[in-house]
Amino acid sequence: MNAKKRGLSMTAKYNLTGWGFVLISVVMIGSFYFYPMIQALFLSFKTGTGTNLTYTGFSNYTRLFSDTTFRTALFNTFIYLIVQVPLMILLAMFISVLLNDSKLKFRGFFRTAIFLPAVTSLVAYSVVFKYLFGSDGLINAMLLKLSIISAPVEWITDPFWAKITIIIAITWRWTGYNMIFYLSALQNIDGSIYEAARIDGASAFKQFTQITVPLLKPVILFTSVTSTIGTLQIFDEIVNITKGGPGNSTMSISNYIYNLSFKYTADFGYAATVSYVIVILIVLLSFLQFKVAGDKK
Amino acid sequence: MKKALLLVLACMVLLVGCSSGGSNKETASGDGQKEITIWAWDPAFNIAALNIAKETYNKKHPDVKINIVEYAQGDIIQKMNTGLNSGTTKGLPNIVLIEDYRSKGFLQSYPESFYDLSNKIKPTDYADYKVGPTSMDGKQYGVPFDSGVTGLYVRKDIIEQAGFTIDDLKDIDWNRYIEIGKVVKEKTGKDMITFSPSDLGFVRVMIQSGHSWYMKEDGKTPDLADNSTLKEAFALYKEMLDSKIVKINADWSQFISFINNGDVVTVPSGNWLTPSVKAEVSQSGKWAVLPLPKLPNTPNATHASNLGGSSWYVMNVPGAELAEDFLAETFGSDVGMYEELLNKIGAIGTLKAAAESEAYKKTDEFFGGQQIVKDFSEWTAQIPNVNYGVSTYAIEDILVVEMNNYLNGKNLDQVMKDAQAQAETQIK
Repeated sequence: MNAKKRGLSMTAKYNLTGWGFVLISVVMIGSFYFYPMIQALFLSFKTGTGTNLTYTGFSNYTRLFSDTTFRTALFNTFIYLIVQVPLMILLAMFISVLLNDSKLKFRGFFRTAIFLPAVTSLVAYSVVFKYLFGSDGLINAMLLKLSIISAPVEWITDPFWAKITIIIAITWRWTGYNMIFYLSALQNIDGSIYEAARIDGASAFKQFTQITVPLLKPVILFTSVTSTIGTLQIFDEIVNITKGGPGNSTMSISNYIYNLSFKYTADFGYAATVSYVIVILIVLLSFLQFKVAGDKK
Repeated sequence: MKKALLLVLACMVLLVGCSSGGSNKETASGDGQKEITIWAWDPAFNIAALNIAKETYNKKHPDVKINIVEYAQGDIIQKMNTGLNSGTTKGLPNIVLIEDYRSKGFLQSYPESFYDLSNKIKPTDYADYKVGPTSMDGKQYGVPFDSGVTGLYVRKDIIEQAGFTIDDLKDIDWNRYIEIGKVVKEKTGKDMITFSPSDLGFVRVMIQSGHSWYMKEDGKTPDLADNSTLKEAFALYKEMLDSKIVKINADWSQFISFINNGDVVTVPSGNWLTPSVKAEVSQSGKWAVLPLPKLPNTPNATHASNLGGSSWYVMNVPGAELAEDFLAETFGSDVGMYEELLNKIGAIGTLKAAAESEAYKKTDEFFGGQQIVKDFSEWTAQIPNVNYGVSTYAIEDILVVEMNNYLNGKNLDQVMKDAQAQAETQIK
């Protein structure tokens, strides 16, 4: 009673202290995330070059529909997404199951080796890939020497192979990173479950599909959402390996945003519109993934 | 309660402190009247030129502090765009180097941000073609710097192996060039030319030699669908590929290695390629520089064109007068300095007076004793003046794609019509 008279109750005090702490991040996130996002939304309704911007309503959004470069960039990004994300997730899962085998020798070494690409700089590894896959690069030399191909593959300058090169590069870079999530999740699965399954006569494949995969579900969801977001924003690799070319056959949406803002005469209004497309796509795709794979909560 | 409040207050103070502290510092340096900052790229060329200019200027004005900052060209464009858009001029330089293809875009997008140099810089002092990109609405905003004048670099020894003399390539048109290329390929197995499928620099060179550009005279209307010069350039480009006289390169380093390894016989390019060609010392005496072949079907086509090149611009920020003075006294008039630029870094300027100096007449043993600088500066005077307009690179990206379609068999008129439609939605 006394305490209450003197001022705030215990709960109110705790609440205030709590909010005090939370407030810092709220203010920070608000001013550095949400404020720019709202500004970008306003910007997307403006048209003009440089500082000569005027409000033109939805003209930027209608322009999207007649913009073939945008369509190509969107298409390319989806190709990366559809081919690369499942490939990488499966590969990461496969490798992590292999590495989780307690009888495997040099586990630490393999784990480090596969994770190592994830610590390399995006630009550095892209440049290395560009040289490896050059028409007279190491990959072509190797394939030629092994007589797998008879003429060098134009990894960088052919529209189809350039996409493949990009997909190989990002898979190499990010598989190890995703593998770590699976490995840690696998270590949390109780060994006795597998033991019981073996006693019941379940094959290794059955064990994988019936025990491992369902128990990894939250991690699968997490990695596929983060990989999807990452792939939608892909930029560094493309700039450094192909510069979006040949033509614009490897250009991603982020490349296009950069070009609109800095390569061409700056059109920030339209660039903001295109970036909002990515935002909308990420929201939609993540929602879809949660619906398909998530728990009913 | 008190603690929480204190914490919040502390944070606020910290935040406010950060922002105000930053801006205070910036204004302090901006007000320093005897100090100018210059942004440019390429340490071997532009920055080296600036250092020479700085030395020259400081001899007369030892009290002026000149900060030369090197950024990659992409970074400069990015910093300029974000800086100018933020509405604050703090953190921007006094003088900036801008590529000629981009200058109109900057001048028009940020009309009040560049300083009018008309009082001190006379456009007639410079090569005609440089005036287009550096001026707007009758005002001179840029100080024209290096020449991107093109020539045809030729490997004399290989041409002779194929049974031609160097004179057979002099003052020809591109049709004859292709014919010679086929013979050279047949006899020596070497490709006549190299280009990259994602860089239409070669097409730009061809159309400027025919008084044409991607844009009409006004610099705003795309000129693709009815541009016969551009169509001719596209047709020649395809014919070269079809004749199998082209070695495709993927990037700059491959381009240079083809030249230095003797994989290609001729290189039509800007004069700034000279140092890269000369890097292969063992080929000394084997090269020559000829006038560019001209377009066969364009009536007023010339043998002169341009590739690249840039100019200096003064930003409309405190210190602009000083920056103007610096440029006027160095790049704007100092012939002696241009001689030094040529001797030390091989830079060919576009100041007409400089072309008269002795240094421009010297011979080069690498090119068999040819007076290449004299030749280049003569061609510089003949480069057709075209309006690069605001969107060279935006249109070029559209054309690269359409070029691919064309090479794969699409009809040329349709190619240009589609490109025109796309360019019109792109440029507003």
